[in-house]
Amino acid sequence: MVFANEIVNDEIIVYCAVDLYSKDSLFKCLYWYGDKFHTSVGFADVDTYRISIKPKSDAGLASEDFELYQLKLERDLIDFNLRDIVTKETKNIRELLIAKAFSNGEFDEEPVGEISDPVGFEIRK
Amino acid sequence: MEVIDKVTRKFKDLGKYDLQSEPGYYLLPFRFHRVTSEKEIIVNELGDYLILTNGTFERIVRRQISKDLDADLYGDLMANFFISEEIINPLIDVLATRYRTKKSFIDHFTALHIFVVSLRCEHTCHYCQVSRVTSDKDQFDMSQVHIDKGIDLMMQSPNPNVTMEFQGGEALLAFENIQYAIARSQKLALANNKTVTYVICTNLAVVTDEILEFCKENDVLISTSLDGPEFVHNENRKRPGRNSYELTISGIEKAREILGWDKVSALMTTSNLSLEYPVEIVDEYFNLGFKNMFLRPISPYGFAVKNEKKNKYNTEKFLTFYKIALNRIIEYNLKGSYFSEDYSTIILKKILTPFPVNYVDLNSPAGAINNVIVFNYEGSVYASDESRMLAEMKDYSFRLGHLDTHSYQQIFYGAKAYEIAEVWTNENLPGCSECAFQPYCGSDPIHNQATQGDMWGYRPTSTFCQRNMEVIRYLIDLMESDKAIKKIFERWIYGNRD
Repeated sequence: MVFANEIVNDEIIVYCAVDLYSKDSLFKCLYWYGDKFHTSVGFADVDTYRISIKPKSDAGLASEDFELYQLKLERDLIDFNLRDIVTKETKNIRELLIAKAFSNGEFDEEPVGEISDPVGFEIRK
Repeated sequence: MEVIDKVTRKFKDLGKYDLQSEPGYYLLPFRFHRVTSEKEIIVNELGDYLILTNGTFERIVRRQISKDLDADLYGDLMANFFISEEIINPLIDVLATRYRTKKSFIDHFTALHIFVVSLRCEHTCHYCQVSRVTSDKDQFDMSQVHIDKGIDLMMQSPNPNVTMEFQGGEALLAFENIQYAIARSQKLALANNKTVTYVICTNLAVVTDEILEFCKENDVLISTSLDGPEFVHNENRKRPGRNSYELTISGIEKAREILGWDKVSALMTTSNLSLEYPVEIVDEYFNLGFKNMFLRPISPYGFAVKNEKKNKYNTEKFLTFYKIALNRIIEYNLKGSYFSEDYSTIILKKILTPFPVNYVDLNSPAGAINNVIVFNYEGSVYASDESRMLAEMKDYSFRLGHLDTHSYQQIFYGAKAYEIAEVWTNENLPGCSECAFQPYCGSDPIHNQATQGDMWGYRPTSTFCQRNMEVIRYLIDLMESDKAIKKIFERWIYGNRD
């Protein structure tokens, strides 16, 4: 089933495909809306997340702000999903980098490639 | 003609360096942020950054950057360690060394040891939470027993270069404490192989030639308070006679004459009144011959700190003040003077150099305990200067122990220190962990506790986050938009080489 993003009675509702968006990215995105909005994440159906934000009573939002916040939320969800892809893809290399940085040399390896000595420093001696 | 393969040729054929065995590339760890409506920034773990046109980050992640069609961008991404053609970059050890260098400010542990030698003061500054107008030395001066114990702990620091900073109240009201502490620490420093730098924080109201001669003999630096022109300074810093400004200026002149210009620095405290006069405050510092000044944020301690809306509003006002003042400072530089701003310089060093910055309020791990410790006048030990101010508001979250009852191990590695350690790196804080400006920023659990009621903090309403995100974004935008400003910023980082 196809769902359309909408604004219903001061509630902004956005739908995301489960196989395209990670759950982590949704929560990391919604974290930044907690100052002005009540937030919730659920399922519209098994393939679709339903994300809604509703302004807190003291948020002071004008009616024309709602569409802007809907656009912002849609864009932020994409940004946070992309960030999440980088975080997960690079998790191992980041851990390796930090382990090497704080190690006492036990993870050091010989540099790849040949070391040439055209000037004659006799670096191997 | 046959080309002879010279043995002295330093670079092999280009193809030799092409490690790509199949089309595509691997991502290295980096983060992304939108700088303006047209530009976005990506920053790697080391703090190297690239400014890109909007949409480029998505193309990078979706593997849409072509080695042939986007050759310049592809080269920049490779050279700046955002992508790699091998699953483990062959230069991983170089990356690790650079990461270690960035974090090397934690190598030696605590350097700054603050001794609150007296809480007594003859000023009644409205923003000061800690001082007392009294002549009761017994109750509000640090005892020699506690000075001894503080020095003993300082000598146990693994750091070979420590700083002993005397604060108050007005530290010079307990000058005999300072003399005693310097004499004792000098003896012990020799035995413990330590170099000690001495700093007295003073309003200079009670300074005398004899005190300054002592400072000269013992190589003591003076750090004073100057809030701006007379009408701002005297309004902020009240004392009988309303002559704080006059005394500070004459004290600065006297101290410069006896100690030398480079031994005297001044700090401003930003008050609500100060926010109305950014240009006048900058002009005051410039006209007094200072080569730098520090646009310090409004301290949250002692005010209606847990009012989120008020805090946010005050931070917006501070940011406007900061930008006007910074632009005035830049104006002076564009006209040929060397005159730098300290907060910007700290952040710019993090952005533009491979080196760490030893500034206790903007680091990860945070400076509390790692770089600074406070021995309060009555013997309590706090994780930072702000921690003792929080204690004046009856919040003892950052009291690590007491000089009478706790050992070095119990203070620096005790349960309280472990509790703070959970929140002192921004790498693991919600909201910070995905932030592109993480390498340029820091963690401040004490600010979080003071303004939001817990050490973790909540970034969407955090004034620390609001302020630093905008200051960092603004500095990057300034230097990317104007090469002359970037040159000025580089002079601030590397010093005046003229």
